[in-house]
Amino acid sequence: MPTLAHLLHLSPETLWMVAKVLIVFGGPFTLASLLTWVERRGAAMIQDRIGPNRAALFGKWRLLGLPQIAADGIKAFLKEDLVPPHVNKLVFWVAPLLTFLPAVMGFAIIPFGQSFVSGGQTYHLSLLDPGNGMGMLYPLAIGSMAVYGVLTAAWSSNNKWSILGGMRASAQMVSYEIAMSLAVITIFMRAGAYDPHQIIQAQWGLWNVLPQFLGFLVFTTCMFAETNRLPFDFAEGEAEIVAGYLTEYGSMKFALMYLSEYVHMVTASALIVTLYFGGWRVPFVADPGVWLSVLAFLVKLLFFCWLFIWIRWTLPRFRYDQLMKLGWKVMLPLSMANFLFHAFLMFKRG
Amino acid sequence: MAILIKQVELSWLDRTYVWPILKGMAITLGHFFRQLFTPTSKRFTIQYPEMKKEMPEGYRGLHELKRFEDGSVKCVACFMCAEACPARCITIEAEEFSELNLTQGFEEKRPKRFEIDLLRCIFCGMCEEACPKDAIWLRKDYELVGTDREALRYGKWDLLNTYAEPDGKPVIKTDPTPSTPSRKEVACS
Repeated sequence: MPTLAHLLHLSPETLWMVAKVLIVFGGPFTLASLLTWVERRGAAMIQDRIGPNRAALFGKWRLLGLPQIAADGIKAFLKEDLVPPHVNKLVFWVAPLLTFLPAVMGFAIIPFGQSFVSGGQTYHLSLLDPGNGMGMLYPLAIGSMAVYGVLTAAWSSNNKWSILGGMRASAQMVSYEIAMSLAVITIFMRAGAYDPHQIIQAQWGLWNVLPQFLGFLVFTTCMFAETNRLPFDFAEGEAEIVAGYLTEYGSMKFALMYLSEYVHMVTASALIVTLYFGGWRVPFVADPGVWLSVLAFLVKLLFFCWLFIWIRWTLPRFRYDQLMKLGWKVMLPLSMANFLFHAFLMFKRG
Repeated sequence: MAILIKQVELSWLDRTYVWPILKGMAITLGHFFRQLFTPTSKRFTIQYPEMKKEMPEGYRGLHELKRFEDGSVKCVACFMCAEACPARCITIEAEEFSELNLTQGFEEKRPKRFEIDLLRCIFCGMCEEACPKDAIWLRKDYELVGTDREALRYGKWDLLNTYAEPDGKPVIKTDPTPSTPSRKEVACS
């Protein structure tokens, strides 16, 4: 690392920061666009179909349908960028950014590999170094910001379907956030810290998913609600409210909103991995090193991304009142019980 | 009378939702892997331009005008199909013709012009049923495209050759029997 920095006439810190920014912004973005492909092909396979496999590079190489991502991107860029006359133009333009940015920003705190020492200096594999004072509160706060994206998109559209979809999505996000926070607080309590590096440190030998299985269930369910994924995709509803808050959006603005759902998925999976599955830890390996730890993190991350897709094509949608009932009457008491149970255990042990 | 809806009593395991969801996920994953490892030829999806659907027996597709083995037209221009056609899409012009040495039958008429407007045709198969000579058949070809309306008015030679390629028969553009009727006397013995 110092030699490479010396070659580029940069200080190692600056070089490392640039590299990390590229990884942390490019990684989830690339992963999200790949996930659109995984979603479509995976859904097809689950439903005994084949899925998109016709797009080909230079009309020759089909590559299992992967060029479809590029084709969709080009199509979205070349389409007419239509803004309906009845919308609030400024907010209408800002909304896709407000949806997209929190989704990417949440990833900044996640350690995606083991810290390493090079040239007498420690490099941490997360955009925000440990000890920044925000810890896991940061992704939760940023995650809540996603509501603004949905709500501004809905409100600025000046359309009854949009506003209904936006209201539903925001109500759902807000009501699931409480249960989610309680589940996360239990982890903070057990680890005695809220910095992700320390939380991963505390999962040495035993991942949080085993002692806190209930918390894991609640947190994962809430993540489905937070990311607006099926079975909780109330922001949209073909039969009732057309495309929900996306109704008035087209071309690249729509693509950005659509992509941000997948970036959200990646961030949510990263949160689940960090909080419950030991982050970059490899089972039975005490000190995995940089590459192995990054690989382990990536494998876990991809598994949870796949879980999101898998669940989507397994479960039917909830009705809105069922969703609210589940959120307030089941998830909240469950995570409260989880919290109290672990508090009691800690009290007993002294 | 009101309909009584049977209430299903869920067991406690089902009411946790976790176990049924896991069962459902097992089913979908089973489908996923089964489909993933099925070769393309055995999947349900027919990859159209490369693979074609085998149409069932009795499917009514593109028409064919049948020929005798020597290549002459079976149709005798009796106008039965044109009469039977509910869409009125068959246009026939008859011509006189007799050459007993060359044809198998004793026909004295044959179509000079036999045209089906396939844009009008409803593929009901009435012409096939009406034909006394089994000369017009509706077969299984469903790929019917044209760049304009004229291209879909199939004439006599088009209809004679519609299935020449799949049947492995030569495409004919002329009648093997002479087109000008010869009126020479044939001795009956």
